Amino acid sequence: MSVLPEDWALPAPNAITTAWFTSGTIAVQTCEACGARQHPPEELCHRCGSMAFTYPALSGRGTLHSYTVAHYAVNRALAEHVPYAVVLVSLDDAPELRVVGNMPGVPIEDIRIGMAVEAIWEERHADDGAVILLPQWQPASG
Amino acid sequence: MACTAIRRAVADAGLELSDVDGFTSYMDRNEPVRMSAALGVGALNFTAQTFGGGGNGAAAAVTLADAAISAGYAETIVVFRALAQGQFHRYGQAGRPRRTRGAGAFTAPYGMLSAAQICAMQTMRFMHDHGVTQDSLAEIVLTCFEHAQRNPRAIRYGTPLTREEYHASRWIAEPFHLYDCCPENDGAAAIVVTTKERARDCAKAPVPIVAAAHGLAHRDGVAAFGEANFPTAHHRHVGAKLWERAGCGPQDIQVAQFYENFTGPVLMAIAEMGFCEPGELNDFVADGNIRWPDGGLPINTAGGNLGEGYIHGFGNVVEAVRQVRGESTCQVADVELSLSVSGPGYAPGSAVLFGRG
Repeated sequence: MSVLPEDWALPAPNAITTAWFTSGTIAVQTCEACGARQHPPEELCHRCGSMAFTYPALSGRGTLHSYTVAHYAVNRALAEHVPYAVVLVSLDDAPELRVVGNMPGVPIEDIRIGMAVEAIWEERHADDGAVILLPQWQPASG
Repeated sequence: MACTAIRRAVADAGLELSDVDGFTSYMDRNEPVRMSAALGVGALNFTAQTFGGGGNGAAAAVTLADAAISAGYAETIVVFRALAQGQFHRYGQAGRPRRTRGAGAFTAPYGMLSAAQICAMQTMRFMHDHGVTQDSLAEIVLTCFEHAQRNPRAIRYGTPLTREEYHASRWIAEPFHLYDCCPENDGAAAIVVTTKERARDCAKAPVPIVAAAHGLAHRDGVAAFGEANFPTAHHRHVGAKLWERAGCGPQDIQVAQFYENFTGPVLMAIAEMGFCEPGELNDFVADGNIRWPDGGLPINTAGGNLGEGYIHGFGNVVEAVRQVRGESTCQVADVELSLSVSGPGYAPGSAVLFGRG
């Protein structure tokens, strides 16, 4: 199912990225003081400078904004996995925010800019036992 | 290589190494402290590199030298870039990340690792938004290769490319074929920036810096494709500043060098610098308009990164100087203003405009 090797790179979540990588929701960093949203998460709010955030779950629905198909394996470990597509999704309930992902199980030729997509989560286990729920995308169910 | 390029640039200017009192560069490993000792330059008064990743610093490094000299911190600064990728990197390879932190955590786990892939993601959307064709990407490559055929120093000298060969070449990261991606090689280049007074006494006619700019628009530095203006080459802002400072506009430019990491960002930069609207790009680059000798705006007249060779875009700065001096192998007649635009696709962008002394 996974587009890349099973033991490929995983995020190392920290205080501001744990919600995104482990909650199983599209948990967008939202400033507690002024409500500004930002992705990727940062240590401070770009609008008001606050360092207090919530991570409310958005709908997980999005629109495919762009993509590329990688044919050249920039690392030897990917040699058996090319070509693979990397997509960029704008979130329907926060269109100014864009999220990078793959579309596991979806034929590359079916990937189109503008297609409706929804988030799914790939459960991965890091060497240190950490469980990562990696956001991925599939065509919207309608 | 860095020392050789610097020695030759200083000699070409008719100066002595002991006249040099500063260095600027971008992303370079050659420490000015070590360089100054190795070259035996005079007392060092100024050193700086630009922030930000990639060849976007090429024109910006000239800006730094101009700023330091204008402010009186130094008198004669060498702007240089030297690459020894064979020694320090594996060409075209990325390391294998295990656990990723920072912005990389949002891209590397998905196999988004290389500059080609990053610029491909930007270009795919740009082409979609503005109807830019694959043939327009090809036009950038074919122009660079054609110009390289007249430049005996060019890596592609003697190896022309046809449109058919371009389209038949393998994909690297769609929409980029092999030839959309600039090859990497070792090399070094340098220019000397000094005061107006000193330049008058140099061996060759001085080439004034009319204006320079580097920077990026509000929130265009957000990582992982979060730029406020995605997809952007980061030159909308740079262009506005450059033209404002220069007191002229794209319509006044006779020849330009556009850093080609990949073809797509060149097209984005041409539009963002104001040469045409994004929707007009297919027409702007067609019918030889960007080719020497008959085009309205010949670009990358030495062959650029794609055809001449990759010195992280500093070759495109040197060629802009050659055009004013009348030393290009694709020399445009009576050049009054010569533009070099650096590193589109990676923030910040930069550009420098040279004029006639």
